[in-house]
Amino acid sequence: MLFGLLCLTFAISHVVPGDPARLAAGPDANESMVQTLRAKYGLDRPLAVQFVSYLHGVVTGDLGQSLRTRNTVLEDLLRYFPNTFELVTLALLLAVVVGVPLGMLSAVYQNTWIDHVTRVVSVSGVALPAFWLGLMLQLLVALHLGWLPLGGRLGLTAASPAPITHLLFVDALLRGEWRTFADAAAHAVLPVVTLCFPALASIMRVNRAEMLETLRQDYIVTARAQGFSGFRVVTRYALRNAMIPTLTMIGLRYGWMLGGTVLVETVFDWPGIGLYAVSAAVSSDFQPIMGVTLVIGLNFMLANLLVDLAYGWLDPRIRRASAT
Amino acid sequence: MKTARILSLGLFTFTLLATLAAPSAPAFERVGDQKILVFAGRQEVPTIDPSVKYDWSIRMMQQALYDALVKYVGNPPEIVPWLAERWEVSPDARTWTFHLAKNARFHNGDPVTAEAVRWSFARTLKLNQGPAWMLSDFLKEDGIKVVNEHTIQFTLGQPYAPLLSFVPWWYVMNPKLVLANEQGGDLGQKWLTDNAAGSGPFKIKRWQQGVLYEIEAVESYWKGWPSKDHVGGVILKMVRESAAQRAALLRGEADIVEGLSADDFDQVAKMPGIVVPNFPGMTTFGLKMNTQKAPTSDANLRKAIVHAFDYDALLKIYNGNAVLQTSPFPNATRGYVAVPGFPRQDLARAKEFLAKSAYPNGGIELEYVYVQGLEEERKMGLVLIDNLGRLNIKVRMVPLIWPNMVARGSKVESSPDMLAVFATPVSTDPDAVAYQYHKNSWGKYYGSSFYQNADVWGLIERARTLPKWEERAPLYADIQRRIAADAPELFGMLANRRWGMRDYVKGFVFSPVRFTGEVDLYPLAIVAK
Repeated sequence: MLFGLLCLTFAISHVVPGDPARLAAGPDANESMVQTLRAKYGLDRPLAVQFVSYLHGVVTGDLGQSLRTRNTVLEDLLRYFPNTFELVTLALLLAVVVGVPLGMLSAVYQNTWIDHVTRVVSVSGVALPAFWLGLMLQLLVALHLGWLPLGGRLGLTAASPAPITHLLFVDALLRGEWRTFADAAAHAVLPVVTLCFPALASIMRVNRAEMLETLRQDYIVTARAQGFSGFRVVTRYALRNAMIPTLTMIGLRYGWMLGGTVLVETVFDWPGIGLYAVSAAVSSDFQPIMGVTLVIGLNFMLANLLVDLAYGWLDPRIRRASAT
Repeated sequence: MKTARILSLGLFTFTLLATLAAPSAPAFERVGDQKILVFAGRQEVPTIDPSVKYDWSIRMMQQALYDALVKYVGNPPEIVPWLAERWEVSPDARTWTFHLAKNARFHNGDPVTAEAVRWSFARTLKLNQGPAWMLSDFLKEDGIKVVNEHTIQFTLGQPYAPLLSFVPWWYVMNPKLVLANEQGGDLGQKWLTDNAAGSGPFKIKRWQQGVLYEIEAVESYWKGWPSKDHVGGVILKMVRESAAQRAALLRGEADIVEGLSADDFDQVAKMPGIVVPNFPGMTTFGLKMNTQKAPTSDANLRKAIVHAFDYDALLKIYNGNAVLQTSPFPNATRGYVAVPGFPRQDLARAKEFLAKSAYPNGGIELEYVYVQGLEEERKMGLVLIDNLGRLNIKVRMVPLIWPNMVARGSKVESSPDMLAVFATPVSTDPDAVAYQYHKNSWGKYYGSSFYQNADVWGLIERARTLPKWEERAPLYADIQRRIAADAPELFGMLANRRWGMRDYVKGFVFSPVRFTGEVDLYPLAIVAK
């Protein structure tokens, strides 16, 4: 699958018009300067040779070099990916923590005001474009109310903790730098909320639909008849069964969010791989684009693997079936 | 459910901490008794190696970290001594001798010597990147001679009068420091990407790629400071969205912003505590027409187009903050002349030219290619549709991202009928603009007209080699008239350069030769308690 992804990305990025060497050399560069860069970065070789060389590099951990930043792509990814990972993970966490209970409540109190409100929230989440929501939150919460910063990861004079994991929150915690942690948290609220909103809406809708279906099942009626409390029936028996499709949605959403952070990262100047990929794309800088695609593809596969494992944890029938 | 409760509690704590930690709205940053200016910019600084690349954000930082032999200052731009106290040029404009200031020091204390200048120029020529094109046709490595510790001499292969106008962009590096950090014979390219080896008024403090770039003032700067209130440092913070830049300025999170829309600039200019410097720049906007491919290869059709266009609409798009071109050369270019009869909207004349063309009744469709997402260029396309419709010419608007536009404009066969291009000359010498119309510029984005006129090319080649300005000036006047007469492009306007700035920021000096958002950080001061 990854090989297919690499082939496709390589083909697309080399089919589109645009001369990366000319763009990297600058607008005034003469032909000899452009040739110098072509030779330096191997862009003067036949495409097939470039592709084989790239594949060899990938296998040996060399993802090539960026013409724009002049760093290796691996260096750049190590710098930018942890930021995106933290953003997406926090957004997904928020979407699950809020979306699942709201979906559940909406189903339990079907056709009441609670259901109506949550449905409005879920429709808004699907309908509102992320960049618009981000800008509105910036204007309202950051500019007018002044509660939170406009963007970035840390305040202007705050220093990042010395890296251990390259994850800012984790490093701040591990180093005991609470002020940095709080500062990073303040900067994360608006982008996390913006990114989480569409995911929250999807998770809520799927969970509501599944809960409605499950609550009509015979074993739920039986459980109620046996005198179990409504809370126990809903959370212990109904929710657990309704979570299987919701989990699928969570896995899919993780992949979509990784690939779709670009708008949120742009609005909030969040230095992640989305911004990195866009900057590379507008410079026709192919190797970073392929590197980012590879990382997103890998993460998407990993997320789906985790979802598959979680199926077994949630549903003993699946666990037993795979054991036999 | 226990897990969910823990997660909920964690999230609540996270949000609470976040809200409590929300910063107030500071005016400018303070570090100790230093006032740190915050500049919100849209464009990253991927490298600061002076031999490798330049654009507005890169050059703003290079100018702060490095010194050159001479420097552009003021409006109109003047070349003033900097590392070089004085210079001489031979009567044939082939030998240039620069005498260095004896007190100039790199940040590590090493003296700036003629050998450092030689090494820096040779490095740029050898790497053949960045500013190399400016001098590489005339200056070779063996033409650079150290006369003594403080005197350097350049002997050119052929006379080149504009040399001095390009020297401000050739920064001097400390060879000892660079070579100490060389990796695999790369002449320090890797290291100089985010480290500096200069003698400029600032040195690097923090360099967080794609996030912020912080430089701090060198208190003992060898040339001194123009104001006792000079900034203690500058943070160039990436704020990529125009709306976010506006909010940052209003909220006091940024002291200078550069990327607002025309309407936003007008709005913030009315707000208390904010000023908007507003100056005509040297960036020309024009529609490059493919002069070698039909239908725009027909000179009469091109002349019909340039006479049908509503130029005042350009000014309206910029809310009046622009001036129309009156020559192919920007007004601040040395030797600029207002060309008599420069095209303005005149439908009767447009129809006359169209009648003389191969398309007397119109009935053709022209492609207008512009930068995707650039609202001003989109509006210009709408004006074109309206104007050329009166000649029965249809216009097809094609938005493309910049790399694809450059690729389209690089070949005669693919270059569109009309390509919207902003072009900023790198020097005030007329050669910098005239050469855009020379055949050697074909393939570059500003050469997408593939303009052909052997007489004009001959004049350009001759004018750049003449040593005396009195001999060059009439040639450039002639060049301007001839290019205008051939109408290889629709010469549009010079959009004003604007910045949104807090009123306590003083010392701003505009120079039109600087790029779009570029500011000379050296004279800036913060005058506030």
